[in-house]
Amino acid sequence: MSLLEIQDLSVVYEPRGAVPTHAVKNASLSLEQGEFVGLVGESGSGKSTLGFAVTRLAKAPARISGGRIVFDGTDIAHLDAEELRSQRRGGFAMVLQSGMNALNPVRSIANHFGDIFAAHGHVPKGRRRQRAIELLDKVQLPSTVLDRYPGELSGGMRQRVSIALALSLEPRLMVFDEPTTALDVLVQHAVMDTVRELQAAEGFTAVLISHDLGVVLESAERVVVMHDGEIVEDGASRQIFSAPAHPYTQMLLSHYADPRAEVVELPGFERKASAAERAGGNGEARPERAAAHDAIVVDHVSKVYPPPRRGEKAVTAVDDVSFRLEPGAAMALVGQSGSGKSTIAKMVTGVERPTSGTVTFGDLRVDRLRRRQLRTLHADVQMVFQDPYSALNPLHTVEYTLTRPVENFTGLKGEAARERVLQLLETVGLTPVEQYAAKLPHQLSGGQRQRVVIARALASDPQVLIADEPVSMLDVSLRAGVLSLLEDLRADLGVSLLYITHDLLSARVVTDQIMVLHHGKVVESGGTTQVLRFPEDAYTTQLLDAIPQPARRFAGGAAS
Amino acid sequence: MADTTADPTTTATPAIADPESARGAESVNGPRRPARTRLGRTGQVLGRAFATVWANPKARVGLVILGMFVLMAIFAPLLAPYSPHDDSFGRNEPGSAAHWLGTTGAGEDVLSQVIYGARVSLLVGFVAGGLSTVVAVVIGLSWGYLRGWGNDVVNFLVNLFLVMPGLPLMIIIAAYLQNGGLPMIILVVVITGWAWGARVLRSQTQSLRSRDFVTAAIFSGESSARVVFREILPNMTSMIAGSFFGAATSAVLAESGLSFLGLGDMATVSWGSMIFWAQNSMAILTGQWILLFAPGLCIALLATSMTLVNFGVDGLSNPRLREGTGR
Repeated sequence: MSLLEIQDLSVVYEPRGAVPTHAVKNASLSLEQGEFVGLVGESGSGKSTLGFAVTRLAKAPARISGGRIVFDGTDIAHLDAEELRSQRRGGFAMVLQSGMNALNPVRSIANHFGDIFAAHGHVPKGRRRQRAIELLDKVQLPSTVLDRYPGELSGGMRQRVSIALALSLEPRLMVFDEPTTALDVLVQHAVMDTVRELQAAEGFTAVLISHDLGVVLESAERVVVMHDGEIVEDGASRQIFSAPAHPYTQMLLSHYADPRAEVVELPGFERKASAAERAGGNGEARPERAAAHDAIVVDHVSKVYPPPRRGEKAVTAVDDVSFRLEPGAAMALVGQSGSGKSTIAKMVTGVERPTSGTVTFGDLRVDRLRRRQLRTLHADVQMVFQDPYSALNPLHTVEYTLTRPVENFTGLKGEAARERVLQLLETVGLTPVEQYAAKLPHQLSGGQRQRVVIARALASDPQVLIADEPVSMLDVSLRAGVLSLLEDLRADLGVSLLYITHDLLSARVVTDQIMVLHHGKVVESGGTTQVLRFPEDAYTTQLLDAIPQPARRFAGGAAS
Repeated sequence: MADTTADPTTTATPAIADPESARGAESVNGPRRPARTRLGRTGQVLGRAFATVWANPKARVGLVILGMFVLMAIFAPLLAPYSPHDDSFGRNEPGSAAHWLGTTGAGEDVLSQVIYGARVSLLVGFVAGGLSTVVAVVIGLSWGYLRGWGNDVVNFLVNLFLVMPGLPLMIIIAAYLQNGGLPMIILVVVITGWAWGARVLRSQTQSLRSRDFVTAAIFSGESSARVVFREILPNMTSMIAGSFFGAATSAVLAESGLSFLGLGDMATVSWGSMIFWAQNSMAILTGQWILLFAPGLCIALLATSMTLVNFGVDGLSNPRLREGTGR
């Protein structure tokens, strides 16, 4: 008999005064003891809702509207709270995406273990500390962690602690809901290794929920693909990888590529020669629309932040970095979080001042600009933000959001300004323009919002666009569209692009030059293709290895 | 096309065309379309806000009580049987068919005074509450948004007003501005009542100012004033509405308190001055408890109704606080 049988399960969200949403529709699935199953889908596919329903953690307004969840012979869909509580030991456990924030900041790690042991009484008092150390050892943490507080641990360590806590009830089923999404790239890789080893050693059944098919294919034996609340494909990883049956799975798979490959192609993305390249580097021959004519020069720039707490060392975010962004060029700044790449963006846009060194844009000394002069800089240097959900004011229509920079920077008013706004919407591909102009942000999808953010950045006819992880918050299927928009802008309008990311694949497709940052220092720089194909620094190799590569796991030789 | 897809990079164009445009089409024809004109949109927003507040049972009770007081104040000349200043009746009469609540020591009709008293209380409540909210918004928002030495000065000022005990300050100012009438009372309430609101709005501003859309507005070349009042302010509407009702409640209480102490304009009829005169004529000793009770109850009910409305206002910004959505 299977460990978990989900039969015809439906979950519906019924918020008051709104139309109910059917998040999971008639899902059926069975899991065997000791299986490692991946559950994949884009945002809104119902994968997390299914995971929460299975562990009975779903809260109002979500409601299980039909079907059965049979765990080891009992239907848990209708257990009451106390039965459910006792069931949790030796039953099912869940590790959350924000698991690192699930720890109580004022209690030590030992207290967290103690609470669980006391609630279930399955570990005698004298052995509790010993048992906690054993559990921490399983997730590769030293015993010293026990007496620390959550605030003293890094994100990766806290996520490991929450995995150890989930393990402490000896569950037979563990649901991991995006356990590494909130973590840094390199840490992600290490935590996933731990999860894999743990599953192999302990033999529990694992369900890994992720939006990232690559991560799932690397770890799971079996993959379940969800789309719009329905399970569209269910099969062995190897089979999903080599012969995906459903078009949705095929689409997801097509967005994976190895940045180290000789030729990298993404569906819906076409590389264009930039205006500067077409002109053969000859300034006079450049088309008139070529916006950029000034270079950004960053010369021996450092940024030191004062120590966060008394007695600690000052933080050096950027350490002696120099580069030159030529007009019309595209350069990538890559590195893990904390490598100083966003700090560089802040200094280039005048939001922060460097501690030493100079930043110049044309004749403008960016590092000496006063607050009022920033406007001059922002007419030429604009920013595309990471999170399209927070970068638009929820209360303003698209038209208002775009009209403001048009009026501020170009001096157009009234009908002329509106004309320009519609033209901008056209440029970023939001047609029919009239309809999009009247919309509020919540009526747009993530990709559409990001296009509005890009349109706003273009409103002042800037020479330089600084894009800070512009696609990291978007679903894979929307990424290629936004990336090719950036590429088009660079090729057609001739703006320079400073592209900040930890995602080497997107860096490979949109940029010509790359700089790899580590602890605020440039460890490697050069042509993007050259650096990614033949990395010289160990850190670059590490970053490349952290990218999930299903091709590497399967087929050995067939890898691209 | 599924059988030859060993390498993901060479997969043919996927069958799912472009989910983005599909979603776009769906939302273009979606049911909730914003009104075209600004006026229409404001109306829609207000209507939705009222529906949210009304959906909360406590707030509904509050709105009904508040509505009754407002009607009572507006239609006082029609509702009241006599003029509130008409002292041609017998003194200290108990309740009767002619005078439901009896007459005062000066020979005025109590019911008429209670009805007319609503005018003063509501006027002071809404005007003083509104003014102190305006002061709180202007000071709180710029205090939260700006940095530098100006910030420290405002910080000092607000802290000063926060630590000063409100009632004694009010009494001193009121005694100093003797016989200023209602404007004086409103001024006193505003001076002593804005600081808390400013503090609350400031902390909310500080958390909103680090949001990307504020940074984006700066990149759009917006002036500081525009960033504060067009980008940040609309996102705090519910908090401002909440602080308005809070301020109005304390203004009503302050007005009654000052009038009761005899520091208001004794010529106007308000619930506070009614209690003051009742106290003066020792109404309790003569058995006329209704003279104290009726205006007292009205003050308490008005303050309660506004506090109840505030429960619903909380739900405007935070859907989790809307009641009845489960645990």
